[in-house]
Amino acid sequence: MDKSQEGKMGRRDFMKAVIAAISGVIGAAIGLPAIAYVVGPALQKETDEWIRLGSVSKVEMNIPTLFKTVIEKQTGWINAEEEFSVYVLTTNSRDFVAMSNICTHLGCKVRWIPDQDGFFCPCHNGVFAKDGSVVSGPPPRPLDRFESKVEDGILFVKRG
Amino acid sequence: MILNLVNWLDDRFGWRAIWEAIFLRKIPHVNWFYTLGSATLFLAILQGVTGILLTLYYVPTPDHAYDSVVYISTQLPAGWFIRGLHHWGASAMVVVTVAHLLRVFLYGAYKYPREATWITGVFLFLIVIGFGFTGYLLPWDQKAYWATTVGTQIAGVAPVVGDWMLRIARGGDELSAVTLARFFGTHIWVLPASLATLVFVHLYLVIRIGITAVPSREEE
Repeated sequence: MDKSQEGKMGRRDFMKAVIAAISGVIGAAIGLPAIAYVVGPALQKETDEWIRLGSVSKVEMNIPTLFKTVIEKQTGWINAEEEFSVYVLTTNSRDFVAMSNICTHLGCKVRWIPDQDGFFCPCHNGVFAKDGSVVSGPPPRPLDRFESKVEDGILFVKRG
Repeated sequence: MILNLVNWLDDRFGWRAIWEAIFLRKIPHVNWFYTLGSATLFLAILQGVTGILLTLYYVPTPDHAYDSVVYISTQLPAGWFIRGLHHWGASAMVVVTVAHLLRVFLYGAYKYPREATWITGVFLFLIVIGFGFTGYLLPWDQKAYWATTVGTQIAGVAPVVGDWMLRIARGGDELSAVTLARFFGTHIWVLPASLATLVFVHLYLVIRIGITAVPSREEE
């Protein structure tokens, strides 16, 4: 170490600083793209789209009716078909409530059990009423609802 | 405060002595050719980092390998960059390794007491070639497929053991899902583990024995 020249940077310290700077540049040149590369897929938002469920005449009065449809989905490098299910409820045959069948607790699928007049989740015994409100169990909020519309007697929901 | 913490840690880890042994050791006055070993090490680390990143998305199955590579190159942010580094880094790795080997050979640096360093180096060179050979198949495109067909066929012409080696390499009679999976496993587990172990021994020997001076005509 060059201590004879106080305040002036010695040769060794200069080299240390240069090496540290170059290392920093190389680290950033790889590290920053790496972060973008790793988080990239997580930032992709699903686009909103209207999904055709079927004829509104299938919806029974006052009973949640299950509509199942298959949608194409591009996940990473795979084009997969995914089943998409929605429960539709109507109390007057004019206004329709489209509810997700995904439990609001931890994402398992709920099922409407007609005999017991409720939606039941098999994972942690969450129970929802026919309008989606929580009856018992751990779910923190009612079943999620989709925006819906009827065109020429065909029911659509918006998935976002 | 921070200095106290650093000293406290050093009391327990003793990293300063290791740091000094590695970076503050005495070396003869040498030239730039002596940086080729460090360059090889740098590239090996770069290949390790970019390779690990590639495994986040790559899948080694015939029906999806190529699609996942295309996904990395075209859909992911900086995917082309990470894969590009790994691709060109692979070629650079072979070039720099050979240059390093030639420098050691031409300077006679493999002689006593450095024979063990040289021998581990030769195995490291073979591992680098193995990385190149197994990695070349992974994109599973036409070039990869036929290069590996030819490469394994070459192993097949060896006398006596040839057919046996070909079948071991391919995991059967012809290139298949089994071939791709075993090349992938070799590329990301077997070879890196071997490389890391041998690099450790190689560097230990370099540091323990020290490096050679540039050979000269005069008696010193």
